[in-house]
Amino acid sequence: MFLGTIIYGLLNSAVLAVMAIGFNLTFGISGVANFAYGAMYIFSAYLSWTLFNLLELPYWLAVCASIPTTMALGALMYRFVLLRVRGQALSEVIATFGIGLAILELFNYLGFVGFEYTLPVLIDDSIMIGDTMVDWQRILVTGVAGLLVAGLWAFTHYTRMGLAFRGIAQDERTALTLGIESDRIAMLSVSLGCGLAALAATVIIPLGSISPSEGYEVLIKALAVCIIGGLGSTGGVIVASFLIGFAERFTDTYISSHWTMIVSLAAILLVLGFKPSGLFGRQKELEERI
Amino acid sequence: MNTTNSSAEPAPARPLLEVRELMVFFENALAINGLSLEVYAGEIVGVIGSNSAGKTTLMNALSGLIIDMRTKEKRRGGERITLYGSVILNGEEITESPPSERVKKGIVLSRERHPVFSESSVLENLRIAGYLRPRAEVRDTIAYVFELFPHLARLKARRAGFMSGGEQQMLAIGMALVAQPKLLLLDEPLLGLSPLMQQAVMEAIVNLKQHYGITVLLSEQFARPVLPVIDRGYVVENGMLALAGTGAQLMENPEIKSAYFGI
Repeated sequence: MFLGTIIYGLLNSAVLAVMAIGFNLTFGISGVANFAYGAMYIFSAYLSWTLFNLLELPYWLAVCASIPTTMALGALMYRFVLLRVRGQALSEVIATFGIGLAILELFNYLGFVGFEYTLPVLIDDSIMIGDTMVDWQRILVTGVAGLLVAGLWAFTHYTRMGLAFRGIAQDERTALTLGIESDRIAMLSVSLGCGLAALAATVIIPLGSISPSEGYEVLIKALAVCIIGGLGSTGGVIVASFLIGFAERFTDTYISSHWTMIVSLAAILLVLGFKPSGLFGRQKELEERI
Repeated sequence: MNTTNSSAEPAPARPLLEVRELMVFFENALAINGLSLEVYAGEIVGVIGSNSAGKTTLMNALSGLIIDMRTKEKRRGGERITLYGSVILNGEEITESPPSERVKKGIVLSRERHPVFSESSVLENLRIAGYLRPRAEVRDTIAYVFELFPHLARLKARRAGFMSGGEQQMLAIGMALVAQPKLLLLDEPLLGLSPLMQQAVMEAIVNLKQHYGITVLLSEQFARPVLPVIDRGYVVENGMLALAGTGAQLMENPEIKSAYFGI
């Protein structure tokens, strides 16, 4: 049972990291806390579902269409809503949260709830590790988590756009004097964050089902991971995903599954109480040392 | 620092940069009041003035940062920024152009207080600065920057936030160079530097002019290290032009002597 808990803790951590990385990317670059993140996750899942089941497109095509569509929706949200309240954190939160609510409640209203709303798994099989059964979809999520972290690292260190992202994230005015357009980069960062939410939905949804309440849960989990790790810190996301991921599985196994939901919320409270900038609070790091 | 007599030849007909009757208001406070100046290609021009004389506002108006600030303040419902007059580059009016457009046209500003990306390494700072330039060119310019500031080459992998003020200033100038300026704007490049560093930075600026043909407009409150190097200078007080002349003329001026050299 102990080994099984470790394995599932690891897999659960990967799920959390995939869920949180897009939210973290957007915040880290443009300072926009995208509270419509969970809604984007669910939007892309329903879109894939509709394209696959109602229009009967091949599944890969449905996914290839829904991820860019979600990115476009994110870009539009930035261009027509966020741009006008840019720089006022509270207004940005209210605007994105409002948009998220509208999207999720629309799906609720349309009655898109039930077990038939799910996405197919890529490989419908499982393997035994020791005496623990692990399905391939969970292993796939873990692989995606690794690739995402490596890919984003390479993107932000070696590509022109990625370097511009890092420039804007560190000092907007200096970036402006070098010809980097902050509004354009911020729009791209929101869009890319939404795209990562869509990608997360594609690999994670097959483990459960699509429902509007899942959207809220994803947002809470992403927030928990980012707050604990320190908003904007990729290293923080990874460490926090492991912390929460393992804590949830151990609570589940040794205390009661009833308490699992509480873990991430309690962790947020603890971190905010003792180290408000998170474990790897990015901006503070240098200042504290100098 | 021995270029005191370099501005004897007649200036070319059309200035590279021309500022006409520039006025900048922050709400009702006048930061720049009817300022006019010219910079000709190949010159080093200084804008000398004390704190709050309007040097930084001038630099922001020239680099277009003020346009971005105005937009952002407007969105926020904050301070109202108003501009009158014109900024002309190579005969083209750019008063209302955003910063990125001006960088493409060759005006690059290095802001005051050595602005660097403090969490990135020296090399990465320079690569970020090459956002608008082709990769091969960026590589070449970075090599040139390391030639210009050999000290930086040894700190390639150092995080910029952990370097001294002087090192950061060298990096900031290097970053501006990577963006390929025709007109390099330096806002208080000597602020907070040791005399030795000040000298190194001024030597690099002369080097830029002589070997690279870059035109430089720099603002400073320390006249002493600057006046011997500049071709021409403008003295600004309270947002208004108080004096103008060649570096040598300004050095001989009794008012400058008493105000900036304490003689």
